[in-house]
Amino acid sequence: MEKAPASRLEPFFVCFLLVLGLAVSVISWGYGFGSLRQPGPGLYPFFVGVAIAVFSLFILVSELRSGTGEPVLDKQGARTLALMALTFCLWIVAMPLLGYVVVTLLATYAFCKIMKLEGWRKPLAVSAGTALFIYALFDYWLYIDLPRGILE
Amino acid sequence: MEGLGLLFSGFVSSLTTVNLVACFIGALVGTLVGVLPGLGPTATMVLMLPFTLPYGPTTGLIMMTGVWYGAMYGGSTTSVLVNIPGEAASVVTCIDGYQMCKKGRAGAALALVAIGSFVAGTIGLLGLQFFAPALGNAALSFGPPEFLCFMILAFVLLSNLSAEAPLKGALMIALGLFLSTIGITPMDSYPRFTFGSEQLMLGIDFLPIAVGLFGISEILNTAIEKYVKPVVRKIRLKELYPNRDEMRRSIGPMLRGSILGFFVGLLPGPCTVISTFVAYAFEKRISKTPERFGHGAVEGVVAPESANNSAVMGSMIPLLTLGIPFAAPSAIMLAGLRMHNVEPGPMLFVTNPDVFWTFIAAMYIGNLMLLILNLPLVGAFARIAMIRPQILLPIISLICLVGVYSVRNSLFDVWVMIAAGVVGYFLRKWKYPIAPFIIGVVLGPTTENSLRQTLLMFKGDVSLVAGRPLSVALLALAAVFLAYKVIAPLMGKKPELKVDEGKSL
Repeated sequence: MEKAPASRLEPFFVCFLLVLGLAVSVISWGYGFGSLRQPGPGLYPFFVGVAIAVFSLFILVSELRSGTGEPVLDKQGARTLALMALTFCLWIVAMPLLGYVVVTLLATYAFCKIMKLEGWRKPLAVSAGTALFIYALFDYWLYIDLPRGILE
Repeated sequence: MEGLGLLFSGFVSSLTTVNLVACFIGALVGTLVGVLPGLGPTATMVLMLPFTLPYGPTTGLIMMTGVWYGAMYGGSTTSVLVNIPGEAASVVTCIDGYQMCKKGRAGAALALVAIGSFVAGTIGLLGLQFFAPALGNAALSFGPPEFLCFMILAFVLLSNLSAEAPLKGALMIALGLFLSTIGITPMDSYPRFTFGSEQLMLGIDFLPIAVGLFGISEILNTAIEKYVKPVVRKIRLKELYPNRDEMRRSIGPMLRGSILGFFVGLLPGPCTVISTFVAYAFEKRISKTPERFGHGAVEGVVAPESANNSAVMGSMIPLLTLGIPFAAPSAIMLAGLRMHNVEPGPMLFVTNPDVFWTFIAAMYIGNLMLLILNLPLVGAFARIAMIRPQILLPIISLICLVGVYSVRNSLFDVWVMIAAGVVGYFLRKWKYPIAPFIIGVVLGPTTENSLRQTLLMFKGDVSLVAGRPLSVALLALAAVFLAYKVIAPLMGKKPELKVDEGKSL
């Protein structure tokens, strides 16, 4: 099975947190550290930033010393993750234009197919049922006014 | 006597249609979540938060606890019948529960688990009813230094009990504390880390972060994992009767598990999961026939399942009396109560005693509802475990999307949720615990306020903390725990109580 290099991402992630911790501390210093007698708005986040940087540094050293871990995703898994994330993003982009009912119907169908629900009848039934359920729940039960888009 | 009077008025308030329906929905959804491997009680509680907003804080609290409590009941069903724990607090139940199932005693095991959960829930409630108001009154004398020291102790314990690597737990708490600093500071109205963005001025909302980390990441995880269809054994009603020997052997473990679970529930971290391990190990240690454990010992099923139910009630004590959640589900409850403008803590018993007593009364009713639901419907719940994730996950995904959007009509919140979901997926894979992060987010403002108030109170002289015995005791406990963690491995001892957070979320 072909493995995606997801495990190699972890040291980069920890490096990012290390930089984030340092940045938080530097920016906090700019907010005004104040004094122990009269603490400023930067005092607390400064120490939080230092804590993030110190913990990240220790974890990074420990990760680098222990070598690379098991890959967390194979190629198929990475593809599923990317498609799921893309569908979530498309829902956000399309929702104000098409309305939440239509987008819910389309997104549910897409999720069913990404997760390999066979045929077209079952995915259609699940997506129609979900759209109807969401509509009933938010419109009739909770009285929440959501964008209806083309159904306006 | 005053307590009984308040409890009676709590029963009167809880016997409203809306509270009873909330209790029933919470218990039912919780049981379903416990039965279905995948989405855990915390993720479900987060998803249900927006739906509690149109109702009062008590109704919201009842529904949330019903979910948590119900999940503890339901989690045992798949553990016993298919050897798959519905959630992490039922992992231990698989050991002897499935062995009982193979011997044809699945019905009896599930019946005893339901009865044990009911007994434990009742004992836990009695403990909560007895200890919480007393502790709440005592906590009225707490000042900012005590709260600060209490939170330091909680963070030390939490980082050590929640993760395989304590540093990862500590890093997650620090990240949570940082996230809570984004936006305008409540004390001096100063914008921090907003970079001119109007949306960031109000801070990052808790709900999209929690739904992303607990809900979306779990959806991604289940969608990517290969699905293996479980084979569920059918249960007939007549099989639910335990025999005399099983009944006799269950009484002790039921009571011991309940008491142990309640006190473990007071600890920071995934207390329900820890309580099951502790109760199982304790029963095995005191048993005259420890060799039966692992081969279908009824004690090994009843004790952990009783413990996880009373642990839920135990963990409500720090939340309700101090306003400090020690576990992810109680952090969600705190966020939910804040959405209703109710701040749990010592003042809860002065300003909103009705919230506490109505909640207690409703949980007695909920406990009974769960017993009635779980005994005859165990076969139906077992069949629900067969529903494929390809059908469930798309529905849950859309509830997450629309639910988060509907709270503030904000697409920014939905972006935050998806980002948190993807990051959360990798955090799980790299074994970074999510619960300390979310507790850090919730406790961040209180921690900062306590720190700044303490410094102002002491005029910058932190040595004055030595004059406050409780603060010193709390700091000493934290120091002793840290010292033990450092010294024990050098002495050749293994102090780890490692708990794989996994599905405990």
